Amino acid sequence: MAYFMVVLLDDNRMGKLRGTGLEEHIKYMFGGELRLLEVEVTEELKDKILAEFETARVDSRGAITDVPVAFMRELFNQVVEKKSLGPEVVEGVLAKINEIKEMAAKESEYLPPPDIE
Amino acid sequence: MSGLLIERPLPHGGRLVERVIEDKRVARKIWKSCNAVYEIKPTLHYETGVPVRNVYREIMSICYGFFSPVEGSMKQAEVERVLKERRLLNEWIFPYPLVFDISKDDLNKLGVEVGDRLGLTLKGKPFAILDIEEIYEIDPEELAYKTFGDPETNPEVVQQKFDKKHPGWVIYRSHQPYVLAGKYTIINPPKFKPPFDRFWFPPRKSREEFEKRGWRTVINHQTRNVPHVGHEFLMKCAAFTGDVEPCPGILVNAVIGVKRRGDYPDEAIVEAHEAVNKYGYIKPERHLVSIVLWDMRYGNPLESLLHGIIRQNMGCTHHMFGRDHAAVGEYYDKFATQILWTKGIPSFGFPAPPTDVPYGLKIRPQNMREFSYCPTCKEMAYSETCGHKREKLSGSFLRGMVAEGVQPPSIIMRPEVYRVVVKWWKQFGYPFCNEKYVINKEKELEVDLEDL
Ligand SMILES: [Zn+2]
Repeated sequence: MAYFMVVLLDDNRMGKLRGTGLEEHIKYMFGGELRLLEVEVTEELKDKILAEFETARVDSRGAITDVPVAFMRELFNQVVEKKSLGPEVVEGVLAKINEIKEMAAKESEYLPPPDIE
Repeated sequence: MSGLLIERPLPHGGRLVERVIEDKRVARKIWKSCNAVYEIKPTLHYETGVPVRNVYREIMSICYGFFSPVEGSMKQAEVERVLKERRLLNEWIFPYPLVFDISKDDLNKLGVEVGDRLGLTLKGKPFAILDIEEIYEIDPEELAYKTFGDPETNPEVVQQKFDKKHPGWVIYRSHQPYVLAGKYTIINPPKFKPPFDRFWFPPRKSREEFEKRGWRTVINHQTRNVPHVGHEFLMKCAAFTGDVEPCPGILVNAVIGVKRRGDYPDEAIVEAHEAVNKYGYIKPERHLVSIVLWDMRYGNPLESLLHGIIRQNMGCTHHMFGRDHAAVGEYYDKFATQILWTKGIPSFGFPAPPTDVPYGLKIRPQNMREFSYCPTCKEMAYSETCGHKREKLSGSFLRGMVAEGVQPPSIIMRPEVYRVVVKWWKQFGYPFCNEKYVINKEKELEVDLEDL
């Protein structure tokens, strides 16, 4: 099975994505209103994510879900930084695993609100 | 009048219970006549100590008539009858035991007896009185089991024995072992804090509001969630029921009470529903958001019965029920509520639907499935109508999106609704109810009280 992680895109994220060359890989749901990218995850990386984050799971399509929000935010940052949807994106996230775990531990207390209005 | 027209039903029990004294002079006199005074405490989880209920909410809902014809804390014979037949001693159907429970220590300290008048304070201020007609002991664990049923006794709908993972079971399990039974009277009406104050339409007021708006028929939407577009379509389309014309009124009635972690905050729920009419998705002339105080018991069919009672008392003619109505886990059949309202559940005392038994309800159930986006129809489509593959939206997917700080597309959640979510997120530092919110809410409550 091929594994992947979904990166959701809103207008704010679309702006940051401009110029990365990834726009052509955007997939659409809900009549084109929901935009997303799929990041490739290798078997080895999938096992590592499941081992490191106990809430993480793999759904029937092979999507890895239920990881901490801090993970998902960094996943997007890495997509922009690496300008890629390959396994090096998740590798980049896992390189910051201590930082993510620290933030994840605080997630039940605090989540930074989005910067609107 | 044509036989086709549906009339607004009388309150359950035939008349609205109203046990609220507004005149402070009278109230002070009553307060002076109390034999003892007791500060209302939250019910704490019998194991973890986390607040799971506050009886003040029951007192409010009883005295303002949401639970008509219930007038107070139930006597032992009434509790037994409710558990056996889901009927009050005056024959009217009712799903749950409601009691004023206290610990043995508190009972001894108070030293009250039958015939005494107990003054109840809330947040340190006089709030209500309880005229004690009976004092008896309960076994909270037995009460918890009997309240919700079990697979042997209620094989039609109960699939699994109840346990401490069920929040309603925990509420009854956490009751104190002594009950003071008798009528409540509120002698110092609490003032709702914003934003709740503008959504407070107790039955007399909601019925007056319906009259004023010319809402001949009104369909209720039960909620304890921020509305996504699927909910909006349920409301819009369920309102096409009615009689010779669609219901002119849609009442959203949000259940406000103890929260579970991961729920949206109550403040966000009521304002998000308000945003649906404020920004015209359903015009405000047709849509009214209101609240009722109740710590949800999650009793699926039993909860739906209580919801029917509350909304009939508020003056609604119709009530939407969804799959898994007010359910948690898989204790009940997913369609238990539908079964109750279409066939009845004999083991719960309903050989026929609650609308077809003596002393039953008059409100009409509207059993609904769900709406989701169909890329072929290019619209929000009804699950039982559209024959295509639809893009289903799970609650956890949407919550994940929100938690990540990604704005959901407007076909999933209206931008104005999302802005309300973010507004309260900024306030509480969290988009959902976390432990801090839950504990703080039970300390602060939705109301403040003035001096008497
Ligand atoms: Zn379709």
